[in-house]
Amino acid sequence: MSVATPQAAVRTAVTAQDVVKVYGRGETAVRALAGISIGFAAGEFTAIMGPSGSGKSTLMHCLAGLDTVDAGTIHIGRTEITRLADRELTKLRRDRIGFVFQAFNLLPTLTAEQNILLGLELAGRRPHKAWFDQIIDVLGLRDRLRHKPSELSGGQQQRVACARALIAQPDVVFADEPTGNLDSRSGAEVLDFLRMSVKRLGQTVIMVTHDPVAAAYADRVVLLADGTLAGELRQPTRDSVLAALKHLGA
Amino acid sequence: MLRTIVAGLRARTARLVLSSVAIALGVALVTGTLVLGDAIKASVADEFARDARNVDVAVDPNTSHSATERAGLTPAMLDTVRRVPGVAAADGRQSVAVPLVHAGGRAKPALGVAVASDPRLRPYDLVSGRDPERPDEVTVDQRTAAADHIPLGGQLTLLDRRNTPHRFTVVGTYQQGTSRSEAFLADQVVLLPSVLPTLGEGHGYEQIVAVAAPGVDQAQLAARVRSALGAAGVTVRTGAELTQQRLRSVAESAGSFSTFLLVFALVALVVAAMVIYNTFTILLAQRTREIALMRCVGASRPQVFRSVLAEAIAMGLAASGLGLLGGLGLSAALQRAVGALGGTATTVRLPLSGSTVIVGFAVGVLVTVLSAVVPALRATRVPPVTALRALPEGHDEVMRTSRKRIAFVLLLALAGSGLAALGLVAGRDTGMLLTGAGTVALLGAVVAAGPLIVGPINRLLGVIPGALFGVPARLASANATRNPRRTAATTAALMIGVTIVTMITVVANSGKQTVNAEIDKQFPADFTVTSAISDRALPASLVDDLRRTGELRLVAPEYRGYATLDRPGTAGATPGDTFSISGVGTDSLGELLRPTVVAGRLDRLGGDEIALRDTAAREAGLHVGDRVSVRVADLAEDERVDPGRGPATTLRVVAIYHGSGPLASALVDAAAYTRMQPNVAGFDRILVRLRDGVSAANGRDAVERATRAVPIAEIDSAAQTKEELNSEVNKVLALVWALIGLAVVIALFGIANTLTLSVIERTRESALLRALGLTRGQLRLMLLVESVLLGVAGAGLGMLLGSGFAWLLDRSLSTKDEVITFAVPFDQVGVMLLTAVVAAVLAAVLPARRAARTSVVAAMVDA
Repeated sequence: MSVATPQAAVRTAVTAQDVVKVYGRGETAVRALAGISIGFAAGEFTAIMGPSGSGKSTLMHCLAGLDTVDAGTIHIGRTEITRLADRELTKLRRDRIGFVFQAFNLLPTLTAEQNILLGLELAGRRPHKAWFDQIIDVLGLRDRLRHKPSELSGGQQQRVACARALIAQPDVVFADEPTGNLDSRSGAEVLDFLRMSVKRLGQTVIMVTHDPVAAAYADRVVLLADGTLAGELRQPTRDSVLAALKHLGA
Repeated sequence: MLRTIVAGLRARTARLVLSSVAIALGVALVTGTLVLGDAIKASVADEFARDARNVDVAVDPNTSHSATERAGLTPAMLDTVRRVPGVAAADGRQSVAVPLVHAGGRAKPALGVAVASDPRLRPYDLVSGRDPERPDEVTVDQRTAAADHIPLGGQLTLLDRRNTPHRFTVVGTYQQGTSRSEAFLADQVVLLPSVLPTLGEGHGYEQIVAVAAPGVDQAQLAARVRSALGAAGVTVRTGAELTQQRLRSVAESAGSFSTFLLVFALVALVVAAMVIYNTFTILLAQRTREIALMRCVGASRPQVFRSVLAEAIAMGLAASGLGLLGGLGLSAALQRAVGALGGTATTVRLPLSGSTVIVGFAVGVLVTVLSAVVPALRATRVPPVTALRALPEGHDEVMRTSRKRIAFVLLLALAGSGLAALGLVAGRDTGMLLTGAGTVALLGAVVAAGPLIVGPINRLLGVIPGALFGVPARLASANATRNPRRTAATTAALMIGVTIVTMITVVANSGKQTVNAEIDKQFPADFTVTSAISDRALPASLVDDLRRTGELRLVAPEYRGYATLDRPGTAGATPGDTFSISGVGTDSLGELLRPTVVAGRLDRLGGDEIALRDTAAREAGLHVGDRVSVRVADLAEDERVDPGRGPATTLRVVAIYHGSGPLASALVDAAAYTRMQPNVAGFDRILVRLRDGVSAANGRDAVERATRAVPIAEIDSAAQTKEELNSEVNKVLALVWALIGLAVVIALFGIANTLTLSVIERTRESALLRALGLTRGQLRLMLLVESVLLGVAGAGLGMLLGSGFAWLLDRSLSTKDEVITFAVPFDQVGVMLLTAVVAAVLAAVLPARRAARTSVVAAMVDA
């Protein structure tokens, strides 16, 4: 299957080249990523899918600079992050990457607003008032800003996490099973927001998920199996994703 | 069940080790104290064993018989004992104060002991050479020989009764029992018995000891000696009885020191208990789901409770074992330190008795188990369903401001303040007790209030690092207050130790300042010349020599003695109490002696006038204007004990003054003093004031020159007196600091422990922060700031409380006449605070490293 698409040629936000990641050594060694090459276009919503153990989470961790690779290179924009030291990686994450995790996205000691602004404060930056207001209003968090995470519902917590991921206008937002802990209504709200941030706000989102419904919100679905690329779908629907997964034997 | 307990212990070894250290240190202090007590006992017993070795019969003066007590045992008695059939050898034991001239020409008191006529009766062990055989030969204590660098065959100078120097040849050295040289720290020499009376004042023999001839048993010989002496004023005992009686008195003296140390061990244990309590609370909170799972699969509440207690017992046992070893080390170190202080290499003894082992283990296990009971009970209340519930995000304990707690705090605070207030009103002794109890209650109130106040305190303290270091510091401040009960327990452990140190330090410092100020006020003398040998007066010629010295403006000699004060008419019936009395020159009053006059006037003293210290006046029931009959003791006749036999002189009380320290209880004119007691050998003290413009150094040189001919003259300055006093106080403080320091170290382990456990708990949080852009350095900084916040909160609170308590104690110790100034030694307190900060930083090092090392991805996946 051809990787080169018209959009990808325009501008790539994230590129992986021959990435290898091995866990353990000797006989017990597992090749989580067996030489993957892939590009993610800017302004696109991509879902990474695959059965358990396919390496989708590992790929995301490597792309986001949370984990190191054993071979190959990864670029975010023009920066080759596989050559960066921890300190520079940290700075990169702070300034150019947004995260939404499955759970435990927020610090229990901080209010919703403090959680949203945490990354900016760590970078010593001030939020753009207009951008902040826009995000808060779109996510409906205005009257929740002073609340601690323990006083928020799961959906609200995840929306706070989304707001935090977007507040710094990052090059790319990584979302790791963002709806995994939510009921379907709250999950739909979060996914709607992620899609809207791509369509209307021009953000780039890469999401790992095993839920075909969630994947159907994306522009493009990348399928992984045994640490290699196993296929790709454009403009996916729930049924086309299910069919592709069935084809993989998942 | 047992298998799960063992598995649990194994899995949590690392987490338990840190808290074990706290218990181990507490146990170390307890066992160290006990071992030290036993060691002192053994060493003193050894000393007395040396005294009593080979002795078959001992004759002591009967203390209730005043004639023999005054005169001691006579040579005639010794001859009688020697002639008793069955006595192989007998000796009179006697020690006399002899002035030993050291390098620099100054004499210091030494103990002169007669050589034993029979080597079996030697109460010491020869190290080199031999016993003296001629009058000009001497054997010296090993320590003295080493300190003065006197080789075998070298010369040594002693002063005779007229202060004429005599040279002796050193023919041997010996070793005394360790405890005696430690106790007195005086030099000691052994001479022929005939030489002793020429050198110093003897009061007869202190004891006569005898060795039995072969085949004569002790009881038999004792009976013979008793009948030979006629039992007049003497006690005759067998060697076995002597040894027994000595060992009893040894046990008593060693016991009081052990009690003193045990008080500190108790403080350390309380602090350790708080650390353990905290550890178990945190550990069990972290294992809530695990416990719930165990309940799900069928573990009963008692089983959960037992498993937690079993863990505590295992930990207590292991820690006590470690503590026992630590205690031996501690005891050895203390003995070495004491030995170093005395300038000798003492033999370190480490007697480990069965009771010490039992007490050590019992204390360690008991404290651990008691500390674990409450957390264990809490663990049993975990409902099984918790295992199935995902814990909500940020499941921090929500601190309910419980009414019960507030009521308890208020009650304690009220009781404490009430007691303290009562203490301020009440008299000195009861007042101090009441105030002490009040401070304990107040400390308890603050500890109980801990969870309510740590939040505001940490938020307040957090402002500074927040402004300095930004986000990481603000996160740290939030972390420090997220779990008030845990923070409170951690802080309280430190606070208790610091409160006690601060209190003792401030009280000691206040006392020191008060006495210093009094010395300055009452003794404006630049130098004081006294006799180094207590029973030898300074010759009158010295006063003339000093008066001829150009640098000195005023030379005021003073007589010192003891006198009885009686109301006229009652004299002769029962002699009154004995008071110290000074005969002073009128010109020195107001100039060199400035007691604070409470009543009457004291610008001058007439020949028939006397001034009394307030305490003495109260005791004797005398007031200004009263007439008093005074008898001054004849010191040459050794009437110190009972001066009431001389002629009485009636004087009029003209002033009551207030003062402390070196001032005598009564002041009379010098001429009146010699009239009342013509038999004075010389002056006891000479106060000296320099001419204006003469520097202290030049003045000292001048006084040195004038006193060169008098080796027993000792020159002190007010500054020196203060210096000596201060160094005494500082020595005691150093001991207290060292002992309480251990409690503080335990508390710091508590901080490290809490942090480590918190770091484990917050692994995911740290990973999230790292993902969001917190650098490793910032993560470390965060924990460092958290630790310092805990440390400073604990130490700061402790200092405030300690200072407050010290103020209360100062107030309650102060009387109308004697006000203790409240003086906080800011330098020492500053050092303490700085130490707390540094120690808190150290406590954070390992947890911070651990937190920073964890991989972000691993943490996100695992937790």
